Amino acid sequence: MARASHAGTDVLLSVENISLSFGGVKALTDISFDIRKGEIRAIIGPNGAGKSSMLNCINGFYHPQEGRITYKGVTRRQMRPHEAAEQGIARTFQNIALFKGMSTLDNIMTGRNLRMKTGLLAQALHWGPARREEVEHRAFVERIIDFLEIQHIRKVPVGRLPYGLQKRVELGRALAAEPDLLLLDEPMAGMNLEEKQDMCRFVLDVNEQFGTTICLIEHDMGVVMDISDRVVVLDYGKKIGDGTPDVVKANPDVIAAYLGTSH
Amino acid sequence: MLYREAGQFKTSYDADQAIFPILQDRIFVLALIAIAFLAPPALGMSEYLYTEILIPFLIFSLAAVGLNILVGYCGQVSLGTGGFMAVGAYAAYNLWLRVPAVNDLVIVFLFGGLMAAGVGILFGLPSLRIKGFYLAVATLAAQFFLDWVFARVKWLTNYTPSGSVAVGNLSAFGIDIDTPVARYVLILAIVAVLTLVAKNLVRGHIGRSWMAIRDMDIAAEIIGFRPLRTKLLAFAVSSFYVGIAGAMYGFLRLGAWEPLAFDINRSFAILFMVIIGGLGSILGSFLGAAFIVLTPIILNQLPGWLGISMSTALISHLEFVIFGAMIVFFLIVEPHGLARLWAIAKEKLRLWPFPH
Amino acid sequence: MARSAGRGIVQHLRCLAFDPFLVAPSPFRPFGAPSPSGGRNLPGAVTMLGPILEVTIGGLLTGVLYSLVALGFVLIFKASGVFNFAQGAMVLFAALTLAQLTQAKDVPAVSMIGAGAVVAGTVGLLALYGWHRARAAREAKPPAGRLQVAVGLSCAVLGGVLAAVAGTKGWPMWLALPATGLIMVALAYGIERLVLRHLVNQEGIILFMATLGIAYFIDGAGQTIWGSDIYKVDLGLPKNPIFLLESVFQGGLLVEPADLVAAGIAGALVIGLAIFFQKTRTGRALRAVADDHAAAQSVGIPLNQIWLVVWTVSGLVALVAGMIWGAKLGVQFSISLIALKALPVLILGGFTSVPGAIIGGLIIGAGEKLSEVFLAPILVRAFDLAGGGIENWFAYMLALLFLLFRPQGLFGERIIERV
Repeated sequence: MARASHAGTDVLLSVENISLSFGGVKALTDISFDIRKGEIRAIIGPNGAGKSSMLNCINGFYHPQEGRITYKGVTRRQMRPHEAAEQGIARTFQNIALFKGMSTLDNIMTGRNLRMKTGLLAQALHWGPARREEVEHRAFVERIIDFLEIQHIRKVPVGRLPYGLQKRVELGRALAAEPDLLLLDEPMAGMNLEEKQDMCRFVLDVNEQFGTTICLIEHDMGVVMDISDRVVVLDYGKKIGDGTPDVVKANPDVIAAYLGTSH
Repeated sequence: MLYREAGQFKTSYDADQAIFPILQDRIFVLALIAIAFLAPPALGMSEYLYTEILIPFLIFSLAAVGLNILVGYCGQVSLGTGGFMAVGAYAAYNLWLRVPAVNDLVIVFLFGGLMAAGVGILFGLPSLRIKGFYLAVATLAAQFFLDWVFARVKWLTNYTPSGSVAVGNLSAFGIDIDTPVARYVLILAIVAVLTLVAKNLVRGHIGRSWMAIRDMDIAAEIIGFRPLRTKLLAFAVSSFYVGIAGAMYGFLRLGAWEPLAFDINRSFAILFMVIIGGLGSILGSFLGAAFIVLTPIILNQLPGWLGISMSTALISHLEFVIFGAMIVFFLIVEPHGLARLWAIAKEKLRLWPFPH
Repeated sequence: MARSAGRGIVQHLRCLAFDPFLVAPSPFRPFGAPSPSGGRNLPGAVTMLGPILEVTIGGLLTGVLYSLVALGFVLIFKASGVFNFAQGAMVLFAALTLAQLTQAKDVPAVSMIGAGAVVAGTVGLLALYGWHRARAAREAKPPAGRLQVAVGLSCAVLGGVLAAVAGTKGWPMWLALPATGLIMVALAYGIERLVLRHLVNQEGIILFMATLGIAYFIDGAGQTIWGSDIYKVDLGLPKNPIFLLESVFQGGLLVEPADLVAAGIAGALVIGLAIFFQKTRTGRALRAVADDHAAAQSVGIPLNQIWLVVWTVSGLVALVAGMIWGAKLGVQFSISLIALKALPVLILGGFTSVPGAIIGGLIIGAGEKLSEVFLAPILVRAFDLAGGGIENWFAYMLALLFLLFRPQGLFGERIIERV
């Protein structure tokens, strides 16, 4: 059952004819789709379908050889990852990419980095503006910590946290950037049912409360079909389906990719 | 029972973010600084204590703080510390020599630090493309190249043979720095200020950017840090500290020196201070420096106390053996160094006399 | 490190750092100097070519030594991911041991007896291990720990007594060479057992720093045990320089025969290692471990044993390097630091490539000699320097520039970063 959509019809990001290869290996072939403002867009597909590569293209970590990406009306071929971040794209990673030596609080504070402006000298003296800025952002981060219900691990180095909590901290770090587009790479992988339910709730809350557009990769079909507005299906680097969960579920190519076909 | 934080409630984020959130820590540190400034001059200790223990300890602590910023906080291994110290020392020397108008030591040292920062940025540039061990080798290039420059480029050493230079008639803030006590107090003041600055940097936004690059550079870039700018800033700040330490070592500890004072063994020694003291810990830099400064002194005295005669060559070889063994021992037992042991001890003290 | 940053080091560095390459007399003659055997006069272009070739050959042969040290690095890095900073110290230790076992110059009797004990003890344990392997088909039980200790100890005591009885005279080369080999095996075992095994799963940088500590330890221990003067390893190599191609170049090309022998030994070593890696079961296991530790372990390859083998092999490579180096330039502390030149070699060649280590060594060796002879005078004139000595940093700078264009080295694999 698809949920009631909050999505508008404005396109936030559109991907046109993207192709990406590593040496001779084609990771993505001629992919096109769009993400509308305020929707939850899922990318699904079997392992090795090129889902993570797709996200990497969107946030500038990989540079596709062909195709165009239009974000907020600006078309581009390439940009550096930090440029994508500056334009409001945040993400989480399939294999958690937290800063292991830092506390939960510091990790989420790093998500605010683009909004911290005071210079070297002010920070060196911890004077006036630097001090005010630090406290201001701390207050914002504390709201995220409350939202994700991780107050008790505020000062624990994240390397010591269990997997499910690390995933949550990583989401918190992405949220701290107040992104317009949030890319989630398998946010529920390896979680038990309860943790998945929590994470689903957070994703939906983020979408509803902050109006953040979300693009997520997920293997759990139940979750995908429940929470996403529209779904793109990739297989072997090609797009084989696109539409609302119900449409995708009925697509014979998609069924073949997931269940196999009789030849 | 004295060391308790019960009853000290933090009512603002500002209070929670203080360097020493616990009252007892604040009192302890302030008392320590006061004693460091007042006690030695008041007690009138021997010159040996100043020149062989206190002054080297403070100077190397500062160098270790600088290197710790680069290695411990930003994760970029450097084996070129000696070279950057030399830049600081010779740059300061040249300013002092050629521009008599600004012979105030503080300005001279600042200039040395800034020049070292510039050279540090230059040799930090490759860090955009190379990481880890590769970068360590690149910094070796800095070490050997800088060694060579100061031994060979005659202008830099004022055409003295083999690059040995000497300074004298020093003053700071209009006060003559000519006694060990004066030197000690000046060094202590500089080190105290710069340590506070370092602590401010590493606990704020800039420190987080360094640690993010250290822990996972790709993720750091994806969430918006600019890797090159962040790393170069670490190189610059680190070299600035190291350069000032080099200038102070030349001016206030040696008085006359040649490039060999800043050779690759200096680099290793300071790296060892950082490892033994604790990577990513300002306090650790001081503990490590104390360890490395005191160990050889104790080793040299030990045979005398025990009544054994040992040749100085043998002692210096044994020093190698003991340093090597200590480093391996620390890495195996406590990779986070003396600073972690200190933290554990403090934690125990907080709970004492209860076990948990 | 106060005033005593190791007086020994400073003293040695003094000769190392700013003397044109070590204390060895330069084999290069001034250009155009007639050779003892005379020769024809040829037009300018060819007369210039002669010195260039001569310098290149000399450099290549020095490069062989760098290659040998680099080879030890590569072996360990490939198999265990440890960047072994102590390789240079191992070369020094091997050279010192060999020189002192054959010469016994001012060595405390304790050291010789100790060496005897270590050698005999190692022989005993290896024999026990071989005997067990031979029986393993029939009995699956390994020899009890108590038996191992007993055999090791009794052999060690026997060896010590023998060494004491024989006095502290030097040992003949045929005995000293294998004995040094065994001591290197024991050293490798000690490093693996006492240090690396406790650091499994630590980050690369921690391991690297541990090897720095090991390097310090071995440097210090080697000199404590064997003394720190300059010693000579006498391999009985021919001494007189020979002149090649006298018909083409004026005065011919001067080549040290000892260098040629060294190159031959190094070549044989590389071929031997290649066969070991490609054809033996252990070699295959090694390559598997190099590819993926966890996967190798899951198919039943014992990691600890493999690492022991690797450290042993690199210890033996260090012995060969130390032997040649000692014979060529004398044994002294600076070997340990010159061995650092193997690092730029590794960067050129790639950290995991054996051919890379060889070719990188040759490039660095030839490059720095050529630069010293031809580039240094130009620099000295242009910048009014107090002498050349650019050999001290040329290799590092070359490697640094190279890194900027090809970070993975000549033969290294390109890394695709994933998140």
